[in-house]
Amino acid sequence: MDWQGQKRAEMLMQLLLVASAVAAFVVGYAMADFQLMLLVYAAGVVLTALVTVPNWPFFNRHPLKWLDASEADRHPRPQVSATTGGKKKTGKNK
Amino acid sequence: MHSWVQRLMATATTAALLLLAACCAASALDAFHVPSVQAQAHVTKINRFHKHLNGNDKVTLTFNLSANLESVFTWNTKQVFVFLTAEYENSKNSLNQVSLWDHIIPDKDHANLQLEVKSKYPLIDQGSSLRGKKVRLVLHWHIMPNAGVMIRDRMALSEFKLPDAYTS
Repeated sequence: MDWQGQKRAEMLMQLLLVASAVAAFVVGYAMADFQLMLLVYAAGVVLTALVTVPNWPFFNRHPLKWLDASEADRHPRPQVSATTGGKKKTGKNK
Repeated sequence: MHSWVQRLMATATTAALLLLAACCAASALDAFHVPSVQAQAHVTKINRFHKHLNGNDKVTLTFNLSANLESVFTWNTKQVFVFLTAEYENSKNSLNQVSLWDHIIPDKDHANLQLEVKSKYPLIDQGSSLRGKKVRLVLHWHIMPNAGVMIRDRMALSEFKLPDAYTS
């Protein structure tokens, strides 16, 4: 699952759960049946789990584009020199 | 949210939290429910009134009760426990409560009570102060909800006077 997919999965999960809780409460109250509320809510939770838990292709539409290894070799990561590190430490101690 | 286990755990946690919220809301709605209970009870016969060997007064009696508790039932009511007490005061205590009869109402269809029964439990005093005593019959009910706190209520129904002498 890519980054966008993770964000989307969390949003979907919260939205679906709140919606099913509200719907279950309204239905249960309207039909004056507490057990019905629990059943409707349980159905909503199962549906939410089915939608958000498996790694559906829907969540993998924005794959990260990594650089080639050869490209990375040409631009090496800048090395932190020992002298600057020492300066920082003394500054902190003061 | 990278692995499916993380997503399952997050879903379960949020679902439990929202279930709690729904239960709180259901319980809160009960606070706005005002039942109107109608009930009457009268003692029809004092079957036996005597003094125990240990010195305590003991009464067994028959009473009739008509009570309509249908209005206490809401969608959040699991069951209602109803009991009838005899209440009186004597020199030892300002309030004595003795349970005479009790009953569990499982649903609204059985909430209209019309009965005449012997007291399920005898009226036993701690001592012998019952002769000529005025006793109140009080109906109590405890509403047990599916979610939330138990609601208690009571209603004084009638008064009767015990005989001035033991019957046996």
